Amino acid sequence: MPVDTKRVRGPEESQSPLLFLPSIAKKSVAAERGRQDGRRRGQADVRPVFARCGLVSQAKGSAYIEAGNTKLICSVFGPREAERKDEAGASSGRLLCDLRFAPFSCPNRGAWIPSSEDKDTAQGLLEALRPGVRLHRYPRAQIEVNVLVLENDGSALAHAITCASMALADAGIEMYDVVLGCSLRLDGNSFLLDPTLQEETAGEPGAQGSVTVALLPSLNQVSGLQADGDMREDTLAEAVRACMEGCHKLYPVIQRALLRAVHKRASPSES
Amino acid sequence: MAAVQVCEAEKVYIMHGVRDDLRVDGRGCEDYRHMEIETDVVSNTDGSARVKLGYTDVLVGIKAEIGKPKPAAPDEGYLEFFVDCSANATPEFEGRGGEELGSELSCTLYKVFNNVNSLELRALCIAPREHCWVLYVDVLLLQCDGNLFDAISIAIKAALFNTRIPKVTITEGEEGGAELELSDDPYDCVRLNVENVPCIVTLCKIGHRHVVDATLQEKACSVAGLLVSVTHKGTITCVRKVGGGSLEPESIFEMTETGKRVGKALHAPLMKLLRDEEAQGKQRQKVGFLG
Repeated sequence: MPVDTKRVRGPEESQSPLLFLPSIAKKSVAAERGRQDGRRRGQADVRPVFARCGLVSQAKGSAYIEAGNTKLICSVFGPREAERKDEAGASSGRLLCDLRFAPFSCPNRGAWIPSSEDKDTAQGLLEALRPGVRLHRYPRAQIEVNVLVLENDGSALAHAITCASMALADAGIEMYDVVLGCSLRLDGNSFLLDPTLQEETAGEPGAQGSVTVALLPSLNQVSGLQADGDMREDTLAEAVRACMEGCHKLYPVIQRALLRAVHKRASPSES
Repeated sequence: MAAVQVCEAEKVYIMHGVRDDLRVDGRGCEDYRHMEIETDVVSNTDGSARVKLGYTDVLVGIKAEIGKPKPAAPDEGYLEFFVDCSANATPEFEGRGGEELGSELSCTLYKVFNNVNSLELRALCIAPREHCWVLYVDVLLLQCDGNLFDAISIAIKAALFNTRIPKVTITEGEEGGAELELSDDPYDCVRLNVENVPCIVTLCKIGHRHVVDATLQEKACSVAGLLVSVTHKGTITCVRKVGGGSLEPESIFEMTETGKRVGKALHAPLMKLLRDEEAQGKQRQKVGFLG
Protein backbone atom coordinates (compact mmCIF):
# COMPACT_ATOMS: atom_id res chain seq x y z
CA MET A 1 0.00 0.00 0.00
CA PRO A 2 1.47 3.39 -0.90
CA VAL A 3 2.19 5.51 2.10
CA ASP A 4 1.32 9.17 2.15
CA THR A 5 4.24 10.70 4.00
CA LYS A 6 2.53 14.06 4.48
CA ARG A 7 -0.15 12.53 6.58
CA VAL A 8 0.34 11.91 10.27
CA ARG A 9 -0.08 8.21 10.61
CA GLY A 10 -1.26 6.45 13.69
CA PRO A 11 1.13 4.73 16.03
CA GLU A 12 2.75 1.63 14.61
CA GLU A 13 1.75 -0.33 17.61
CA SER A 14 -1.92 -0.10 18.39
CA GLN A 15 -3.66 -1.03 21.57
CA SER A 16 -7.17 -1.98 22.45
CA PRO A 17 -9.20 0.89 23.90
CA LEU A 18 -10.39 -1.48 26.62
CA LEU A 19 -7.01 -1.08 28.31
CA PHE A 20 -7.72 2.55 29.05
CA LEU A 21 -11.07 1.85 30.61
CA PRO A 22 -10.82 2.31 34.36
CA SER A 23 -10.64 -1.14 35.89
CA ILE A 24 -13.39 -2.97 34.09
CA ALA A 25 -11.84 -6.24 35.05
CA LYS A 26 -11.36 -5.30 38.66
CA LYS A 27 -15.09 -5.24 39.33
CA SER A 28 -15.36 -8.13 41.66
CA VAL A 29 -18.04 -10.71 41.27
CA ALA A 30 -17.09 -12.02 44.68
CA ALA A 31 -19.39 -9.55 46.37
CA GLU A 32 -22.41 -10.92 44.61
CA ARG A 33 -23.95 -14.07 45.87
CA GLY A 34 -24.89 -15.57 42.56
CA ARG A 35 -23.49 -15.23 39.09
CA GLN A 36 -24.49 -12.80 36.40
CA ASP A 37 -26.19 -15.37 34.22
CA GLY A 38 -28.25 -16.73 37.09
CA ARG A 39 -26.18 -19.81 37.77
CA ARG A 40 -25.18 -20.63 41.31
CA ARG A 41 -21.70 -20.52 42.75
CA GLY A 42 -20.19 -23.68 44.15
CA GLN A 43 -22.65 -25.84 42.19
CA ALA A 44 -22.08 -28.06 39.20
CA ASP A 45 -23.95 -25.57 37.08
CA VAL A 46 -22.70 -25.68 33.50
CA ARG A 47 -23.96 -23.51 30.71
CA PRO A 48 -26.47 -25.10 28.36
CA VAL A 49 -24.62 -26.72 25.49
CA PHE A 50 -25.58 -26.97 21.87
CA ALA A 51 -23.59 -29.52 19.88
CA ARG A 52 -23.83 -30.79 16.31
CA CYS A 53 -21.68 -33.03 14.16
CA GLY A 54 -20.85 -33.03 10.49
CA LEU A 55 -21.09 -29.46 9.33
CA VAL A 56 -17.81 -29.24 7.40
CA SER A 57 -18.38 -31.27 4.26
CA GLN A 58 -14.71 -31.42 3.22
CA ALA A 59 -13.50 -32.89 6.48
CA LYS A 60 -13.64 -36.52 7.50
CA GLY A 61 -15.41 -35.48 10.65
CA SER A 62 -16.42 -32.20 12.19
CA ALA A 63 -18.28 -30.75 15.11
CA TYR A 64 -19.63 -27.47 16.35
CA ILE A 65 -20.24 -26.63 19.96
CA GLU A 66 -21.81 -23.70 21.64
CA ALA A 67 -21.85 -23.06 25.36
CA GLY A 68 -23.23 -19.70 26.25
CA ASN A 69 -21.35 -17.38 23.96
CA THR A 70 -18.35 -19.64 23.57
CA LYS A 71 -18.48 -21.03 20.04
CA LEU A 72 -16.06 -23.47 18.53
CA ILE A 73 -15.75 -25.39 15.34
CA CYS A 74 -13.54 -28.43 14.87
CA SER A 75 -12.64 -30.53 11.87
CA VAL A 76 -10.71 -33.78 11.70
CA PHE A 77 -8.70 -34.96 8.71
CA GLY A 78 -7.14 -38.36 8.30
CA PRO A 79 -5.97 -40.92 9.01
CA ARG A 80 -3.50 -40.26 6.27
CA GLU A 81 0.11 -41.17 5.66
CA ALA A 82 2.42 -39.61 8.21
CA GLU A 83 4.56 -36.76 6.98
CA ARG A 84 7.34 -37.43 9.40
CA LYS A 85 8.78 -40.86 8.88
CA ASP A 86 11.79 -40.53 11.13
CA GLU A 87 9.64 -41.02 14.19
CA ALA A 88 10.62 -43.97 16.32
CA GLY A 89 6.96 -44.63 17.12
CA ALA A 90 6.08 -46.07 13.73
CA SER A 91 3.98 -48.73 15.44
CA SER A 92 1.39 -46.19 16.47
CA GLY A 93 -0.18 -43.24 14.76
CA ARG A 94 0.38 -39.58 15.42
CA LEU A 95 -2.25 -37.19 16.59
CA LEU A 96 -1.71 -33.59 15.53
CA CYS A 97 -3.64 -30.81 17.18
CA ASP A 98 -3.97 -27.26 16.05
CA LEU A 99 -5.99 -24.75 18.00
CA ARG A 100 -6.53 -21.21 16.89
CA PHE A 101 -8.38 -18.31 18.33
CA ALA A 102 -9.94 -16.26 15.55
CA PRO A 103 -8.53 -12.71 15.74
CA PHE A 104 -11.96 -11.37 16.64
CA SER A 105 -12.76 -14.07 19.17
CA CYS A 106 -11.55 -12.21 22.25
CA PRO A 107 -12.20 -8.63 23.43
CA ASN A 108 -8.66 -7.75 22.36
CA ARG A 109 -7.80 -8.51 18.78
CA GLY A 110 -5.42 -11.38 18.38
CA ALA A 111 -2.83 -11.93 15.72
CA TRP A 112 -3.18 -14.49 12.94
CA ILE A 113 0.12 -16.03 13.82
CA PRO A 114 -0.46 -18.38 16.75
CA SER A 115 1.08 -17.04 19.92
CA SER A 116 2.83 -19.22 22.46
CA GLU A 117 -0.43 -19.14 24.43
CA ASP A 118 -2.25 -20.76 21.50
CA LYS A 119 0.44 -23.38 21.16
CA ASP A 120 0.21 -24.13 24.85
CA THR A 121 -3.56 -24.54 24.60
CA ALA A 122 -3.08 -26.83 21.60
CA GLN A 123 -0.61 -28.87 23.60
CA GLY A 124 -3.16 -29.18 26.41
CA LEU A 125 -5.74 -30.31 23.89
CA LEU A 126 -3.38 -32.94 22.52
CA GLU A 127 -2.55 -34.22 26.00
CA ALA A 128 -6.24 -34.56 26.79
CA LEU A 129 -7.25 -36.26 23.54
CA ARG A 130 -4.41 -38.71 23.10
CA PRO A 131 -5.42 -41.18 25.84
CA GLY A 132 -8.89 -41.45 24.31
CA VAL A 133 -7.80 -42.36 20.78
CA ARG A 134 -6.69 -45.88 19.87
CA LEU A 135 -3.61 -44.66 18.06
CA HIS A 136 -1.97 -48.07 17.85
CA ARG A 137 -4.67 -48.98 15.32
CA TYR A 138 -3.22 -46.43 12.91
CA PRO A 139 0.44 -47.29 12.42
CA ARG A 140 2.42 -44.85 10.27
CA ALA A 141 -0.57 -42.59 9.97
CA GLN A 142 -1.44 -39.19 11.26
CA ILE A 143 -4.73 -37.74 12.33
CA GLU A 144 -5.14 -34.00 12.23
CA VAL A 145 -7.45 -32.13 14.56
CA ASN A 146 -8.09 -28.47 13.83
CA VAL A 147 -10.03 -26.36 16.27
CA LEU A 148 -11.06 -22.80 15.59
CA VAL A 149 -12.45 -20.70 18.42
CA LEU A 150 -14.98 -18.40 16.82
CA GLU A 151 -16.04 -16.68 19.98
CA ASN A 152 -14.31 -17.00 23.30
CA ASP A 153 -16.52 -16.45 26.29
CA GLY A 154 -14.50 -18.50 28.74
CA SER A 155 -13.61 -22.18 29.15
CA ALA A 156 -12.30 -22.36 25.60
CA LEU A 157 -9.94 -25.25 26.21
CA ALA A 158 -12.54 -27.37 27.98
CA HIS A 159 -15.06 -26.99 25.16
CA ALA A 160 -12.33 -27.47 22.57
CA ILE A 161 -11.63 -30.88 24.11
CA THR A 162 -15.29 -31.88 23.98
CA CYS A 163 -15.72 -30.53 20.47
CA ALA A 164 -12.57 -32.24 19.17
CA SER A 165 -13.54 -35.61 20.60
CA MET A 166 -16.96 -35.31 18.96
CA ALA A 167 -15.32 -34.55 15.65
CA LEU A 168 -12.98 -37.52 16.07
CA ALA A 169 -15.95 -39.77 16.74
CA ASP A 170 -17.75 -38.30 13.75
CA ALA A 171 -14.72 -39.07 11.59
CA GLY A 172 -14.98 -42.71 12.60
CA ILE A 173 -11.64 -42.75 14.39
CA GLU A 174 -11.43 -45.64 16.85
CA MET A 175 -11.63 -44.39 20.39
CA TYR A 176 -11.81 -45.83 23.87
CA ASP A 177 -14.28 -43.23 24.98
CA VAL A 178 -15.33 -39.69 24.22
CA VAL A 179 -13.29 -37.06 25.99
CA LEU A 180 -15.22 -34.41 27.85
CA GLY A 181 -13.75 -31.19 29.16
CA CYS A 182 -14.84 -28.92 31.96
CA SER A 183 -13.25 -25.85 33.52
CA LEU A 184 -13.58 -24.21 36.83
CA ARG A 185 -12.59 -20.88 38.29
CA LEU A 186 -11.61 -20.62 41.91
CA ASP A 187 -12.71 -17.30 43.28
CA GLY A 188 -11.80 -16.82 46.90
CA ASN A 189 -13.48 -19.59 48.82
CA SER A 190 -16.05 -20.62 46.27
CA PHE A 191 -15.80 -21.94 42.76
CA LEU A 192 -17.47 -21.08 39.49
CA LEU A 193 -17.97 -23.98 37.15
CA ASP A 194 -17.72 -23.40 33.41
CA PRO A 195 -16.75 -19.72 33.84
CA THR A 196 -17.49 -17.01 31.32
CA LEU A 197 -14.69 -14.79 30.08
CA GLN A 198 -15.68 -12.07 32.51
CA GLU A 199 -15.56 -14.50 35.40
CA GLU A 200 -12.20 -15.77 34.18
CA THR A 201 -10.61 -12.34 34.26
CA ALA A 202 -12.47 -10.70 37.14
CA GLY A 203 -11.63 -10.72 40.80
CA GLU A 204 -8.60 -9.61 42.71
CA PRO A 205 -5.39 -11.44 41.93
CA GLY A 206 -4.07 -13.83 44.50
CA ALA A 207 -7.28 -15.57 45.45
CA GLN A 208 -7.79 -16.90 41.95
CA GLY A 209 -7.09 -20.13 40.22
CA SER A 210 -8.32 -22.08 37.27
CA VAL A 211 -8.65 -25.79 36.70
CA THR A 212 -9.43 -27.66 33.50
CA VAL A 213 -10.17 -31.38 33.59
CA ALA A 214 -10.63 -33.77 30.68
CA LEU A 215 -12.50 -36.95 31.53
CA LEU A 216 -13.16 -40.27 29.85
CA PRO A 217 -16.59 -40.68 31.42
CA SER A 218 -17.38 -44.36 31.02
CA LEU A 219 -13.86 -45.47 31.99
CA ASN A 220 -13.71 -42.89 34.78
CA GLN A 221 -10.20 -41.84 33.85
CA VAL A 222 -8.84 -38.33 33.83
CA SER A 223 -7.04 -37.80 30.55
CA GLY A 224 -6.08 -34.18 31.02
CA LEU A 225 -5.54 -31.89 33.95
CA GLN A 226 -4.32 -28.33 34.00
CA ALA A 227 -4.41 -26.17 37.09
CA ASP A 228 -2.98 -22.72 37.66
CA GLY A 229 -3.08 -20.32 40.55
CA ASP A 230 -2.24 -20.53 44.19
CA MET A 231 -4.30 -23.20 45.87
CA ARG A 232 -4.19 -25.68 48.68
CA GLU A 233 -4.14 -29.33 47.93
CA ASP A 234 -7.63 -30.09 49.27
CA THR A 235 -9.06 -27.17 47.29
CA LEU A 236 -7.52 -28.68 44.18
CA ALA A 237 -9.00 -32.10 44.91
CA GLU A 238 -12.41 -30.55 45.45
CA ALA A 239 -12.07 -28.56 42.23
CA VAL A 240 -11.16 -31.67 40.24
CA ARG A 241 -14.19 -33.49 41.64
CA ALA A 242 -16.47 -30.58 40.73
CA CYS A 243 -15.08 -30.54 37.19
CA MET A 244 -15.69 -34.25 36.85
CA GLU A 245 -19.27 -33.74 37.93
CA GLY A 246 -19.56 -31.01 35.31
CA CYS A 247 -18.24 -33.42 32.66
CA HIS A 248 -20.87 -36.00 33.59
CA LYS A 249 -23.58 -33.38 33.11
CA LEU A 250 -22.29 -32.83 29.59
CA TYR A 251 -22.19 -36.53 28.75
CA PRO A 252 -25.86 -37.16 27.75
CA VAL A 253 -25.91 -34.08 25.52
CA ILE A 254 -22.82 -35.20 23.64
CA GLN A 255 -24.12 -38.79 23.36
CA ARG A 256 -27.37 -37.55 21.86
CA ALA A 257 -25.56 -35.34 19.37
CA LEU A 258 -23.37 -38.25 18.28
CA LEU A 259 -26.37 -40.58 17.96
CA ARG A 260 -28.14 -38.01 15.86
CA ALA A 261 -25.11 -37.77 13.58
CA VAL A 262 -25.04 -41.55 13.16
CA HIS A 263 -28.76 -41.68 12.30
CA LYS A 264 -28.32 -38.91 9.82
CA ARG A 265 -25.44 -40.66 8.16
CA ALA A 266 -27.31 -44.00 8.02
CA SER A 267 -30.27 -42.51 6.20
CA PRO A 268 -29.22 -39.37 4.40
CA SER A 269 -32.54 -39.07 2.59
CA GLU A 270 -34.41 -38.37 5.80
CA SER A 271 -33.96 -35.45 8.20
CA MET B 1 13.23 -36.50 24.37
CA ALA B 2 16.23 -38.69 24.31
CA ALA B 3 15.03 -42.21 23.84
CA VAL B 4 16.22 -45.29 25.62
CA GLN B 5 15.47 -48.83 24.65
CA VAL B 6 13.85 -50.75 27.45
CA CYS B 7 12.74 -54.30 26.78
CA GLU B 8 9.73 -55.98 28.33
CA ALA B 9 11.77 -57.93 30.87
CA GLU B 10 13.50 -54.78 32.05
CA LYS B 11 10.15 -53.04 32.36
CA VAL B 12 8.79 -55.83 34.51
CA TYR B 13 11.91 -55.69 36.65
CA ILE B 14 11.57 -51.94 37.17
CA MET B 15 7.84 -52.17 37.87
CA HIS B 16 8.27 -54.93 40.43
CA GLY B 17 10.99 -52.92 42.09
CA VAL B 18 8.78 -49.85 42.31
CA ARG B 19 6.01 -51.96 43.81
CA ASP B 20 8.41 -52.91 46.63
CA ASP B 21 9.65 -49.34 47.05
CA LEU B 22 13.10 -50.14 45.72
CA ARG B 23 14.24 -48.65 42.47
CA VAL B 24 16.99 -49.77 40.13
CA ASP B 25 19.52 -47.32 41.55
CA GLY B 26 18.62 -48.15 45.14
CA ARG B 27 16.34 -45.20 45.83
CA GLY B 28 12.92 -45.28 47.41
CA CYS B 29 9.87 -44.01 45.52
CA GLU B 30 10.07 -40.49 46.92
CA ASP B 31 13.82 -39.92 46.77
CA TYR B 32 15.68 -37.60 44.48
CA ARG B 33 18.94 -38.54 42.87
CA HIS B 34 22.18 -36.92 44.00
CA MET B 35 21.99 -33.24 43.22
CA GLU B 36 24.75 -30.72 42.65
CA ILE B 37 24.10 -27.00 42.48
CA GLU B 38 26.53 -24.24 41.68
CA THR B 39 25.61 -20.60 41.23
CA ASP B 40 27.47 -17.79 39.52
CA VAL B 41 29.01 -20.05 36.90
CA VAL B 42 28.84 -17.76 33.87
CA SER B 43 30.45 -14.35 34.33
CA ASN B 44 28.60 -12.51 31.57
CA THR B 45 25.19 -13.06 33.09
CA ASP B 46 23.47 -11.19 35.89
CA GLY B 47 22.72 -14.46 37.56
CA SER B 48 23.40 -18.06 36.67
CA ALA B 49 23.21 -21.53 38.08
CA ARG B 50 24.00 -25.03 37.04
CA VAL B 51 22.17 -28.05 38.40
CA LYS B 52 23.18 -31.65 38.01
CA LEU B 53 20.57 -34.19 38.95
CA GLY B 54 22.02 -37.62 38.36
CA TYR B 55 23.03 -37.42 34.73
CA THR B 56 20.63 -34.60 33.95
CA ASP B 57 22.55 -31.39 33.56
CA VAL B 58 20.98 -27.95 33.22
CA LEU B 59 22.54 -24.50 32.92
CA VAL B 60 20.49 -21.36 33.48
CA GLY B 61 21.66 -17.85 32.71
CA ILE B 62 19.66 -14.73 33.52
CA LYS B 63 20.23 -11.44 31.74
CA ALA B 64 18.43 -8.28 32.78
CA GLU B 65 17.56 -5.73 30.13
CA ILE B 66 15.52 -2.57 30.18
CA GLY B 67 12.29 -2.77 28.27
CA LYS B 68 8.82 -1.32 28.14
CA PRO B 69 6.20 -2.71 30.52
CA LYS B 70 3.34 -4.64 29.02
CA PRO B 71 0.26 -2.44 28.62
CA ALA B 72 -1.83 -4.85 30.68
CA ALA B 73 0.52 -4.51 33.66
CA PRO B 74 2.09 -1.04 33.43
CA ASP B 75 3.81 -1.14 36.82
CA GLU B 76 5.44 -4.54 36.57
CA GLY B 77 8.46 -6.02 34.91
CA TYR B 78 8.33 -9.43 33.32
CA LEU B 79 10.25 -12.60 32.67
CA GLU B 80 10.97 -14.24 29.35
CA PHE B 81 11.85 -17.91 29.18
CA PHE B 82 13.80 -19.67 26.50
CA VAL B 83 14.75 -23.31 26.67
CA ASP B 84 17.42 -24.47 24.30
CA CYS B 85 17.96 -28.15 23.80
CA SER B 86 21.61 -28.50 22.96
CA ALA B 87 22.60 -31.19 20.50
CA ASN B 88 25.21 -32.21 23.07
CA ALA B 89 22.45 -33.78 25.10
CA THR B 90 21.25 -36.07 22.35
CA PRO B 91 21.75 -36.08 18.57
CA GLU B 92 17.97 -35.87 18.17
CA PHE B 93 18.11 -32.23 19.22
CA GLU B 94 20.29 -31.31 16.28
CA GLY B 95 18.96 -28.58 14.02
CA ARG B 96 15.32 -28.03 14.87
CA GLY B 97 14.89 -31.36 16.58
CA GLY B 98 14.73 -29.95 20.07
CA GLU B 99 12.40 -27.11 19.23
CA GLU B 100 9.19 -28.90 20.15
CA LEU B 101 10.47 -29.97 23.55
CA GLY B 102 11.99 -26.54 24.12
CA SER B 103 8.77 -24.68 23.44
CA GLU B 104 6.81 -27.11 25.60
CA LEU B 105 9.21 -26.58 28.48
CA SER B 106 9.18 -22.80 28.16
CA CYS B 107 5.37 -22.71 27.92
CA THR B 108 5.15 -24.60 31.17
CA LEU B 109 7.63 -22.23 32.80
CA TYR B 110 5.49 -19.27 31.80
CA LYS B 111 2.50 -20.94 33.45
CA VAL B 112 4.42 -21.74 36.61
CA PHE B 113 5.61 -18.16 36.96
CA ASN B 114 2.32 -16.60 35.87
CA ASN B 115 1.32 -16.04 39.44
CA VAL B 116 1.26 -12.89 41.53
CA ASN B 117 2.93 -14.57 44.48
CA SER B 118 5.83 -16.34 42.83
CA LEU B 119 8.01 -13.33 42.16
CA GLU B 120 7.64 -9.68 43.11
CA LEU B 121 7.26 -8.28 39.61
CA ARG B 122 6.59 -4.77 40.91
CA ALA B 123 10.21 -4.63 42.09
CA LEU B 124 11.26 -4.92 38.45
CA CYS B 125 9.48 -1.73 37.49
CA ILE B 126 11.63 1.36 36.98
CA ALA B 127 9.06 3.90 35.80
CA PRO B 128 5.42 2.87 35.29
CA ARG B 129 4.39 2.70 31.62
CA GLU B 130 7.91 3.70 30.57
CA HIS B 131 10.67 1.40 31.70
CA CYS B 132 10.95 -1.90 33.46
CA TRP B 133 13.41 -4.71 33.83
CA VAL B 134 12.93 -7.70 31.58
CA LEU B 135 14.62 -10.81 32.88
CA TYR B 136 15.63 -13.14 30.11
CA VAL B 137 15.85 -16.60 31.60
CA ASP B 138 17.79 -18.81 29.21
CA VAL B 139 17.85 -22.48 29.98
CA LEU B 140 20.37 -24.75 28.34
CA LEU B 141 20.01 -28.50 28.54
CA LEU B 142 23.47 -30.02 28.59
CA GLN B 143 22.51 -33.60 29.37
CA CYS B 144 19.13 -35.27 29.58
CA ASP B 145 18.47 -38.20 31.83
CA GLY B 146 14.86 -37.67 32.74
CA ASN B 147 13.14 -35.25 35.06
CA LEU B 148 13.99 -32.10 33.16
CA PHE B 149 11.25 -30.02 34.76
CA ASP B 150 12.48 -30.48 38.31
CA ALA B 151 16.09 -29.76 37.43
CA ILE B 152 15.14 -26.67 35.42
CA SER B 153 12.92 -25.24 38.14
CA ILE B 154 15.59 -25.71 40.79
CA ALA B 155 18.20 -24.16 38.51
CA ILE B 156 15.93 -21.18 37.82
CA LYS B 157 15.32 -20.63 41.50
CA ALA B 158 19.05 -20.76 42.20
CA ALA B 159 19.81 -18.42 39.30
CA LEU B 160 17.15 -15.93 40.40
CA PHE B 161 18.65 -16.01 43.89
CA ASN B 162 22.00 -15.25 42.35
CA THR B 163 20.67 -12.46 40.12
CA ARG B 164 21.86 -8.95 40.84
CA ILE B 165 20.13 -6.17 38.98
CA PRO B 166 21.99 -2.86 38.80
CA LYS B 167 20.31 0.08 40.52
CA VAL B 168 18.77 2.62 38.22
CA THR B 169 17.90 6.16 39.20
CA ILE B 170 15.63 8.43 37.23
CA THR B 171 16.67 12.01 36.91
CA GLU B 172 14.97 14.90 35.22
CA GLY B 173 16.61 15.51 31.88
CA GLU B 174 17.47 18.92 30.48
CA GLU B 175 14.40 19.08 28.31
CA GLY B 176 12.05 17.87 30.98
CA GLY B 177 12.14 14.23 29.97
CA ALA B 178 13.22 11.51 32.35
CA GLU B 179 16.72 10.14 32.08
CA LEU B 180 17.88 6.81 33.31
CA GLU B 181 21.13 6.58 35.16
CA LEU B 182 22.79 3.27 35.82
CA SER B 183 24.83 2.95 38.96
CA ASP B 184 28.43 2.06 38.13
CA ASP B 185 29.15 0.53 41.52
CA PRO B 186 28.89 -3.22 40.98
CA TYR B 187 27.80 -3.77 44.59
CA ASP B 188 24.98 -1.27 44.33
CA CYS B 189 22.32 -3.66 43.10
CA VAL B 190 18.87 -5.04 43.71
CA ARG B 191 18.29 -8.62 44.77
CA LEU B 192 15.14 -10.56 44.13
CA ASN B 193 13.12 -12.23 46.81
CA VAL B 194 12.98 -15.84 45.68
CA GLU B 195 11.34 -17.24 48.81
CA ASN B 196 8.07 -17.84 46.98
CA VAL B 197 9.48 -19.14 43.71
CA PRO B 198 7.95 -22.59 43.24
CA CYS B 199 9.76 -25.80 42.47
CA ILE B 200 8.36 -28.36 40.08
CA VAL B 201 7.96 -31.96 41.18
CA THR B 202 7.26 -34.47 38.42
CA LEU B 203 5.64 -37.71 39.43
CA CYS B 204 5.52 -40.70 37.14
CA LYS B 205 2.92 -43.36 37.55
CA ILE B 206 4.53 -46.79 37.38
CA GLY B 207 2.25 -49.74 38.00
CA HIS B 208 0.06 -48.81 40.93
CA ARG B 209 2.58 -46.50 42.53
CA HIS B 210 4.22 -43.27 41.55
CA VAL B 211 7.84 -42.22 41.71
CA VAL B 212 9.60 -38.89 42.08
CA ASP B 213 12.53 -37.95 39.84
CA ALA B 214 12.23 -40.73 37.29
CA THR B 215 15.22 -41.62 35.12
CA LEU B 216 14.70 -42.19 31.41
CA GLN B 217 14.37 -45.94 31.94
CA GLU B 218 11.70 -45.45 34.55
CA LYS B 219 9.94 -42.91 32.39
CA ALA B 220 9.75 -45.47 29.60
CA CYS B 221 7.75 -47.71 31.97
CA SER B 222 5.18 -45.09 32.81
CA VAL B 223 2.30 -44.02 30.63
CA ALA B 224 1.31 -40.88 32.46
CA GLY B 225 2.67 -38.49 34.99
CA LEU B 226 1.74 -35.40 36.88
CA LEU B 227 3.73 -32.22 37.13
CA VAL B 228 3.10 -30.26 40.31
CA SER B 229 4.68 -26.93 41.15
CA VAL B 230 4.85 -26.28 44.86
CA THR B 231 5.87 -23.23 46.89
CA HIS B 232 7.74 -23.34 50.18
CA LYS B 233 4.44 -22.96 52.02
CA GLY B 234 3.09 -26.05 50.35
CA THR B 235 0.57 -24.33 48.11
CA ILE B 236 0.19 -25.70 44.62
CA THR B 237 0.61 -23.17 41.84
CA CYS B 238 0.45 -25.31 38.75
CA VAL B 239 -0.56 -28.84 37.84
CA ARG B 240 -0.24 -30.50 34.45
CA LYS B 241 -0.83 -34.02 33.33
CA VAL B 242 2.05 -35.15 31.14
CA GLY B 243 2.65 -38.25 29.05
CA GLY B 244 0.29 -40.02 26.71
CA GLY B 245 -1.91 -41.91 29.14
CA SER B 246 -4.74 -41.16 31.51
CA LEU B 247 -4.96 -41.35 35.27
CA GLU B 248 -7.55 -42.48 37.75
CA PRO B 249 -9.04 -39.66 39.81
CA GLU B 250 -7.90 -41.28 43.05
CA SER B 251 -4.30 -41.56 41.92
CA ILE B 252 -4.32 -37.89 40.94
CA PHE B 253 -5.20 -36.96 44.49
CA GLU B 254 -2.51 -39.25 45.85
CA MET B 255 0.05 -37.85 43.46
CA THR B 256 -0.68 -34.21 44.26
CA GLU B 257 -0.40 -35.08 47.93
CA THR B 258 3.02 -36.69 47.41
CA GLY B 259 4.07 -33.84 45.16
CA LYS B 260 3.15 -31.30 47.78
CA ARG B 261 5.01 -33.16 50.52
CA VAL B 262 8.15 -33.73 48.46
CA GLY B 263 8.13 -30.21 46.99
CA LYS B 264 7.68 -28.55 50.35
CA ALA B 265 10.61 -30.50 51.77
CA LEU B 266 12.77 -29.45 48.83
CA HIS B 267 12.71 -25.71 49.50
CA ALA B 268 14.35 -25.36 52.92
CA PRO B 269 17.56 -27.31 52.11
CA LEU B 270 17.81 -25.54 48.77
CA MET B 271 17.61 -22.08 50.32
CA LYS B 272 20.09 -23.08 53.03
CA LEU B 273 22.49 -24.34 50.41
CA LEU B 274 22.22 -21.16 48.37
CA ARG B 275 22.79 -18.96 51.42
CA ASP B 276 25.77 -21.04 52.52
CA GLU B 277 27.28 -20.83 49.10
CA GLU B 278 26.83 -17.09 49.02
CA ALA B 279 28.30 -16.67 52.50
CA GLN B 280 31.52 -18.21 51.28
CA GLY B 281 31.81 -15.34 48.83
CA LYS B 282 35.02 -15.09 46.86
CA GLN B 283 36.76 -17.80 48.87
CA ARG B 284 34.55 -20.42 47.32
CA GLN B 285 36.35 -22.86 45.13
CA LYS B 286 34.64 -22.84 41.77
CA VAL B 287 33.86 -26.24 40.42
CA GLY B 288 32.93 -25.26 36.89
CA PHE B 289 32.05 -27.66 34.14
CA LEU B 290 34.56 -30.37 34.78
CA GLY B 291 33.49 -31.10 38.35
